[in-house]
Amino acid sequence: MSQSTELDNAGDAEGRPVVNYLNHDRGVMSWLTTVDHKRIGVMYLVSVLIAFLLGGIFAEAVRLELLTPDPTIMGANTYNRMFTLHGAVMIFLFMIPGIPGVFGNFCLPLMLGAKDVAFPRLNLLSLYLYWTGATIALAGMIMGGTDTGWTFYAPYSTTTPMTVFPVLFGIFILGFSSILTGLNFIVTIHTLRAPGMGWMRLPLFVWATYATSIIQVLATPVIGLTVMLVGIERVGGFGFFDATKGGDPVLFQHMFWFYSHPAVYIMVLPAMGVVSEAIAAFSRKNIFGYKMIAYSSLGIAFVGFFAWGHHMFVSGQSTFENGAFAVISMFVGVFTAIKVFNWVGTLYRGAIAVKAPLVYICGFLFFVVFGGMTGIAVATISLDVHWHDTYFVVAHFHFIMVGAVIMAFLIALHYWFPKMFGRMYNEGWAMVAAGFIVLGFNATFIPQFLLGNAGMPRRYYMYPERFQALNVASTAGSSLLALGFVIILVYLIFALVRGPKAVDNPWGSRGYEWMTTSPPPKHNFHEQPVITQDAHSYQNPGEEVEHVVI
Amino acid sequence: MSSSEATAHAAPGRGDPHLAHHFDTQDQQDGAVRLGMWLFLGTEVLLFAGLFLGYTVYRHFFHEAFHECSRALSLPLGTLNTVILITSSLFVALAHVAIKQDKQKQAAGLLVLTILCALAFLVIKSFEYAHKFEVGELPGKWFSNPEITAPGANLYFTVYFLATGLHAFHVIVGMSVLAWVLKGVLKGKYGPRNNVAVELGGLYWHLVDLVWIFLFPLLYLI
Amino acid sequence: MANSANATNNDGGHGHGEHSHGIGRYIAVWLALLAGTALTVITGRIDLGAGNIVLAITIASIKATLVVLFFMHMIDTPAANRIVFVVSLVFSLVLIIGVFGDLWTRNEMSLPSGAPSTLAPEIQVPGTPAAERPAEH
Repeated sequence: MSQSTELDNAGDAEGRPVVNYLNHDRGVMSWLTTVDHKRIGVMYLVSVLIAFLLGGIFAEAVRLELLTPDPTIMGANTYNRMFTLHGAVMIFLFMIPGIPGVFGNFCLPLMLGAKDVAFPRLNLLSLYLYWTGATIALAGMIMGGTDTGWTFYAPYSTTTPMTVFPVLFGIFILGFSSILTGLNFIVTIHTLRAPGMGWMRLPLFVWATYATSIIQVLATPVIGLTVMLVGIERVGGFGFFDATKGGDPVLFQHMFWFYSHPAVYIMVLPAMGVVSEAIAAFSRKNIFGYKMIAYSSLGIAFVGFFAWGHHMFVSGQSTFENGAFAVISMFVGVFTAIKVFNWVGTLYRGAIAVKAPLVYICGFLFFVVFGGMTGIAVATISLDVHWHDTYFVVAHFHFIMVGAVIMAFLIALHYWFPKMFGRMYNEGWAMVAAGFIVLGFNATFIPQFLLGNAGMPRRYYMYPERFQALNVASTAGSSLLALGFVIILVYLIFALVRGPKAVDNPWGSRGYEWMTTSPPPKHNFHEQPVITQDAHSYQNPGEEVEHVVI
Repeated sequence: MSSSEATAHAAPGRGDPHLAHHFDTQDQQDGAVRLGMWLFLGTEVLLFAGLFLGYTVYRHFFHEAFHECSRALSLPLGTLNTVILITSSLFVALAHVAIKQDKQKQAAGLLVLTILCALAFLVIKSFEYAHKFEVGELPGKWFSNPEITAPGANLYFTVYFLATGLHAFHVIVGMSVLAWVLKGVLKGKYGPRNNVAVELGGLYWHLVDLVWIFLFPLLYLI
Repeated sequence: MANSANATNNDGGHGHGEHSHGIGRYIAVWLALLAGTALTVITGRIDLGAGNIVLAITIASIKATLVVLFFMHMIDTPAANRIVFVVSLVFSLVLIIGVFGDLWTRNEMSLPSGAPSTLAPEIQVPGTPAAERPAEH
């Protein structure tokens, strides 16, 4: 059942269609009222990039303040607001909607051979909810700011005189957005697969998104309730988390981390999915251990729900629970290691194409192993008592959040840029930026491990002079990192406007999303695709290996 | 699980106004919508799980207060509300049966009955709330009933008001959904082959009933 | 997979099945639910010690199962829908049991069991003068 119209079939000089999802309809309203998953994905891209820019500016402000032991550019209260802003914006506005919202929306239906997600209008609603939540949360930050950190621990969050309520309300609404996206993806994967696509032929990004969506659907309601309870506590004094009225503040941490630990996997699993896609494409080799990668995504999602207590080793949680959560946390390491071995196995003896995304892939592998190993370390109770609330933990989760997730975001952005916009970016500049980012990242966060181990607590405004050298190193690294991002922004915008037109499949990828034109037509495919081979198969028995020069 | 079966179903319904462009058949679309609804119900379960957790925690800490306070609620009103909700669940289930048999008027009547039940539930609930305000059985810092002296009574009423309040909110939402379904039924939008909206409105309503089935004994009886 | 499951569900059998035993089954479930309510009310006010809560939750679970299976058609819905709902229940239990495990084994000092008397609306805890706590209005 072809959706093609005569207009779609009109081609340019190379016989490629000139009408695609980007230009079939013009004007701001045609974007704001669209239900096309590709346009929604692009709008998410713009939104999360703005959030990333904001979060990045706040991060740089924090790093700049920590350049010297004494106050430099801001007061203590502003500093508290800054790190809260940085955390909240990065987590709730960039990380969680980032890869699923942008690349999930854009690629998932294409990968499934579907014309759209299952509920296109709901999809648009979730974007609008994202905008609403983001606006409310940011308005709260401007109106007075919040100084609780992104974790909103009670009883401080229920008693601080700063403006907390709008931020909580914004997060509540963002939660709805996240739930609706997850729900939509699960239903899409269940019901809209192309003919011939069984579960064991799903691309690995789809598997990762599936696992992510399960977490989004199951865990997000609990954070919604939790922030609501904190809000009610502030306004109504219900005493739910207030020890002076018999409430239990540790209960807040349980409820918060029941969401927020799995939320780490909401951020990381799609990143792992992106890497699984790109690593096969750039080593031109069948993915190694397809089933193991697919199942380990589900495994991480599952185990992630049983590990929340490892954030609470020093909170007064019982010793028994500490032990139980510590042991269960180790399983996350097992599943992650399965993935890493399979990725490395995919690279082994592949026809590796050293392009910018591959540089990020290598960075990703290092960061995820290093961040993962330190994660195992901080999930060990005896070590965590020493490292808890120090820069060691900060460095650990930035290795995962920035090191893994942002590398994957950049892989996805570069790998799917020609797919989304039909243009190529400048490879030379991309390599330069990749170098800056990988190096800058190490320079920023490796000193923080040392700082934390030496005893510097996180979220502190001033510090003893003996920590200064490492802090200077970290701040210097963060400027390298920032420079890398600025370069990326410049050459991508340039590519968008002036870049050379990309061919339909510039990477010679076997990903299903490349079966259609780049950029895709309005309804994704001119003809309903039929899947005849497994995902990521670059060498099929009896088929000559294709050598695409990329 | 071969997915080749999926292709076996050709698309007879192309051009059907109820069928969105990205689905091939009405069955596929209905299946998708049902799965979406169940996922949504799953999120609701976890939302209430947080409050049940609060109940469990504070009942564990303040066992006596919870026992004493549960006696302060009106058991006849609570029981009446339970019966009303269970009966309304029956009505909405029968409404779905009726629409599947194309008995439009019967379905509309049953939906009206369901909405009336919901309204009755809310009215009774508001009487209960009013009484609580009178005697000062209120959450957290507002608690001021001198007759209940066990420590933790204020937390019982915190849990009570949060749980029943959130549930009452769901009753209101459910009423609105059912009113919207009723409007569709009156317009003749649904029939034997096209009634998934009635079914899903009913599913939501059953969930509201489901939550109350647990809230009732926990709050009123033990 | 899901497609085919849904398709069989709608290939006529669904509608006809309802016709023959649908209404009767609903009424039977409704009566059972009313009976369960009566039972839980009667036993609820008899003092059975710890038995009360066990009994109440058992009855509530049976009632809920009836609602889910028959009113919500879980009994003949595609497997995916069933899994979704069951999984959400399982993870609710994970949340409750996970936290409860902490309460049961927690160090005495970390428990809020030295809970204040409920007589005064604003409670003062030793070491925290009420005036110092920031108030929000």
